[in-house]
Amino acid sequence: MVVYRRGNRRSIIILLVITAITLITLDVRGSGPLTSLRGGARDLFSPVASVVNTIFSPVGDWLSGIRNAGSLNRENDRLRSELEEFQGQDAEEQIAAAENAELRRLLDLPYVEDADAIAARVVSGSPSNFEWTVMIDRGTSSGVLEGMPVVTGLGLVGRVVEADNNRATVLLLRDPLFGADVAIGAEPAIATGIAQGRTGEDTMTIDLVSNSARVEEGDIVFTSGREEESRYPPGIPIGEVESVVRYRGGIQQEIVVRPYVDLDSIEYVKVIRWPTGVTGDVDEEDETDPAEGEGDEGEEEGDPEAPGSTTPTTLPLTTLPVTSTAGTGSDGE
Amino acid sequence: MTWNVRLRLLLLLVTTTVLQITVFPDLRFFGIAPELCLVATIAVAFRAGSEVGAVYGFVAGLAIDIFLQTPLGLSALTFAIVGYGVGFVQTGLSQTPRWAAPMFGGIGGLAGGAFFVVIGSLTGEEQLFAWRSVWVVLVAAIYDAVVALALFPIARWAVPVDELAGRARMP
Repeated sequence: MVVYRRGNRRSIIILLVITAITLITLDVRGSGPLTSLRGGARDLFSPVASVVNTIFSPVGDWLSGIRNAGSLNRENDRLRSELEEFQGQDAEEQIAAAENAELRRLLDLPYVEDADAIAARVVSGSPSNFEWTVMIDRGTSSGVLEGMPVVTGLGLVGRVVEADNNRATVLLLRDPLFGADVAIGAEPAIATGIAQGRTGEDTMTIDLVSNSARVEEGDIVFTSGREEESRYPPGIPIGEVESVVRYRGGIQQEIVVRPYVDLDSIEYVKVIRWPTGVTGDVDEEDETDPAEGEGDEGEEEGDPEAPGSTTPTTLPLTTLPVTSTAGTGSDGE
Repeated sequence: MTWNVRLRLLLLLVTTTVLQITVFPDLRFFGIAPELCLVATIAVAFRAGSEVGAVYGFVAGLAIDIFLQTPLGLSALTFAIVGYGVGFVQTGLSQTPRWAAPMFGGIGGLAGGAFFVVIGSLTGEEQLFAWRSVWVVLVAAIYDAVVALALFPIARWAVPVDELAGRARMP
């Protein structure tokens, strides 16, 4: 058995506890050097993590394949039938989208499809059981900045909460710290509210929706971009209303939303260069007009990698109308 | 402690941290991943005692904190306390039971999870204070108990018997 002097042993644990509490206090207060240190350490680690990911990802895929073999077959069948259906709708939607874009230009409204996007691959999930994040293989060197919204072709995934040189961490919709101002229902919006993640659940809740609003199951929920300082551009689909509970005499209703994106199986995402969502120096560069700021941002960063990694024009997102900014009914098709 | 042992512990720390952030997020059961670094801390503390366990736990926790959104130092504090506690209990054992690895892995994982939630809640991470956290801590503890079966022999390799004998001769 190991023998120690008791006093020495006690002083070590006391010293460690004091150091840890000091670090926690500094970090909670947002100490700059600590944040830089954290980012630097992650950058240092990222090449190693990339190599390990490359080696072990086939193993992970294989295990995941075994776990999901049954559901994959069913999903294949479903996707085939959906593909046929969507091919039929495609031409019609392209015409509608073009018309919609033209109307928006005339109204001078910011729209998600005007925004540049940076394509990225999800390299790993969260190492913790208490937070819901993913790490993507693009960072500040590619133009990714803290606060930028992250989407897939189906809709909103989350937002960037930490951006290092070559990697960024995305807070997913399901994290309880995630929140977004949303609109329920297509033009005109039935109601607006704040969507929030639920600890560990696959669904979200929407708060601040009046009990009198006629929200129903199946209504579409998308970002409203209503607030001037909104983190998200308007019109990004989030999901569908799964359940609505109204209490007699209650002030607001309980709304549960099921996101469109399956957050457990995302592989590729796009980070939208949304000016009002970014933080730090970029905010100052972007001035006031979000639509104009998007184009400038990439150029001003002067980053050699940025052009190669940027998807320059439209996102395969949505043709849903923007409801919030103008507040008129004239921006629909 | 010899440099050979320090190097081995460093290798163990780096390996478990890299695996925790790259491989194990994809190896979840019931949506829960094991706390590899915490189990390594428990294994090292069980092998080398409370002093080494606390220091190893602090450094391992700090390493994993870098990749989390929770405050830097939260895991370090949790792991250091668990490492110290496991080492303290271990010194009271007259002989090592055969089921030591899963038992210490499980109970240590349970304590570590509970400390993380409580200390995290106190530091303002209110989302940790939820019923789901109980479920997470319980399932993770079971997972930790299984992972401990692999990590305890590795800790034995990292801190060999002659090193322990050397420590025992210390005043």
